[in-house]
Amino acid sequence: MDRRQFILSGIALGAASSLGIYGWNSSFDENSDNRDLVLSALLPALLYAALPEDTTMAVQVNRTKAAISDFMPYLAKRQQQELQQLFNLLANQVTQLALTGHLTAISELTMSQRWQLLANWRDSYLALLQQAYHGLRELLFAAYYGQPEHWQAINYTAPRYR
Amino acid sequence: MQHLDASQFITDQHFSADVVIIGSGAGGGIAAEQLSAAGFKVLLLEEGAYYTREQFKMEERWAYPNLYQEGAARKTKDQAIGILQGRTVGGSTTVNWTTSIRTPQQTLDYWQDQFGLNFVAENDLTAYFQLAEERLNIKQWSVAPNANNAKLQYGCEQLGWQYTVIKRNVTHCANLGYCGMGCPIDAKQSMLVSTIPAALKKGATLISRLSVRKLQWQDNQILRLEAVPVDEHFQPTASLKVTISAKHYIVAAGAIGSPALLLRSKVPNPSGRLGKHTYLHPTVISGAVFAEDINGHAGAPQSIYSDQFVWPTDSKQPGYKLEVPPIHPVLMASKLIGVGDQHAQLMKSFNQLQVTIALIRDGFHPESQGGQVVLDQDQQPVLDYPITDYIWQGMRQALLSMAELQFAAGAKQILPIHHDAKLYQNWPEAKAAIEQLSMTALRQTVVSAHVMGGCNMSATADKGVVNANGRHHQLTNLSVFDGSILPTSLGANPQLTIYALVWKNCQQLIKELSHELQPV
Repeated sequence: MDRRQFILSGIALGAASSLGIYGWNSSFDENSDNRDLVLSALLPALLYAALPEDTTMAVQVNRTKAAISDFMPYLAKRQQQELQQLFNLLANQVTQLALTGHLTAISELTMSQRWQLLANWRDSYLALLQQAYHGLRELLFAAYYGQPEHWQAINYTAPRYR
Repeated sequence: MQHLDASQFITDQHFSADVVIIGSGAGGGIAAEQLSAAGFKVLLLEEGAYYTREQFKMEERWAYPNLYQEGAARKTKDQAIGILQGRTVGGSTTVNWTTSIRTPQQTLDYWQDQFGLNFVAENDLTAYFQLAEERLNIKQWSVAPNANNAKLQYGCEQLGWQYTVIKRNVTHCANLGYCGMGCPIDAKQSMLVSTIPAALKKGATLISRLSVRKLQWQDNQILRLEAVPVDEHFQPTASLKVTISAKHYIVAAGAIGSPALLLRSKVPNPSGRLGKHTYLHPTVISGAVFAEDINGHAGAPQSIYSDQFVWPTDSKQPGYKLEVPPIHPVLMASKLIGVGDQHAQLMKSFNQLQVTIALIRDGFHPESQGGQVVLDQDQQPVLDYPITDYIWQGMRQALLSMAELQFAAGAKQILPIHHDAKLYQNWPEAKAAIEQLSMTALRQTVVSAHVMGGCNMSATADKGVVNANGRHHQLTNLSVFDGSILPTSLGANPQLTIYALVWKNCQQLIKELSHELQPV
């Protein structure tokens, strides 16, 4: 994140709180619509070149989303809340500006804008955004590559001994 | 044999026993067998589930949420270190990679010097190593190493570096390579298949899916413990209460769980060391792409290690041990760097990847005092482990050694697992790049599979939480029998150290209890 964006974040978070949206201290509540919207936007960027380009892509994305919602309850409650908060902030038009630097909804960003967004988080001065990058990355990749249907591309076959 | 699943309880429960053991891993398992054999009525408690061979699926998507703490996604407070830790009957012994190494003499010497712990005469561990090795069939692995380990061996041979063939706790091992997901054929001699069934046969009771929240104590005695069942995702519930009273309490919930329980219970802590000086063998990773297939998912995950750099002569340098991990899709996908195309291309080389890891020997230097277990809003533990410059510097050295080794072993390209790194084509290029990498939290990927310390042993009460026999310095009917009693990390995989120490401490405890529990 460059200096301009960093300042932008502050402004956006300020705007959010003046509108009664309390930035990182709010919206812990589980909202599956928000989670779905964010995952639908980020999975194709993160898994670009791994996902097939045909009609099975949607099937794989949906399967991965289901795996993520199945897995999340096993995380520490604290971690579940942090992730849920991130989904809520990213899905909310006002607060997402702070996290993405874009007024356009995350689902409307081009693929290269989504990659840029992920790179900005990775290189952010804010530990929170770095943690968001790594946390989401691990969660999403683990959910995708945990599914046997997605192993063909890496030529991995699970052993059968039973 | 009796097993109760606490998640099936429908009303509050109370149990009593001679000895209650909290945690069924390396420490709890050994203690359960010893104490049951000595005729004590034992209750063994476990937060995880009682999964056995029939239920183990050789798939990460099943194993991680069901057999590991926090779905194998446990992290330190700043999320810079990922921690793999078991949470199931048998604890980490159910999911570890079977490496069995006696405590290095240098480590024991350091403990003697710093903590007054003396491992001579009746405290000599040799006999206990032998007992544990015999009990768990610990022998040098006689099958050829898989390609992932063979490359580590070959690189060492090329460079003239020391290496050792690993001893493993297995019987009739089929060399499958899925140890981390629970052994599907009961070959691994984990607590799940050895000491725990033996304890149950001798009359011990196992209660699974039970989370112990608090020890109630008064003066210098524990009176009872309070526990709750966990739900289907292993989260503590508030549905009902389980209380247990015993004559003696053994805490063996691991180096994060044990300090957390004692912190929640606010037990006396005059040394101020409870939950502090927690060590991880912080580990860095180096990937290498070979022309030929490595198939690191198949075959014994660890069969070779190198101690070339564990005990450097320069005391300003942290030592590190070289090993390899098993290579499975989720483990790799979550650790490989980048997103999109970069990540997908790396994953396409999945079968040609060789992976080496370096475990930093932390805790032997003023600038390596470890981490601290703290409690979060839900009274659940989080480990705060700040990484010092001294450790970062050791990690950079370790990345250099691993790159040099992998090229010597014939790698086409190597990739230090660091978020600014890329594939390097040769050793000079890799060396120049690694020397420039920014060694900071979250840029440099760090993992751990060994948690140690937090309730350290010490001869005197001012320097630790428990005495040389694992008995609490202040509370008379409390012992801690797990990896949390280690005063530093080990410079070796911990399971055999824990088996031997607990075996010794348990024999001592049995002697003391037969005096202490005499009817007045």
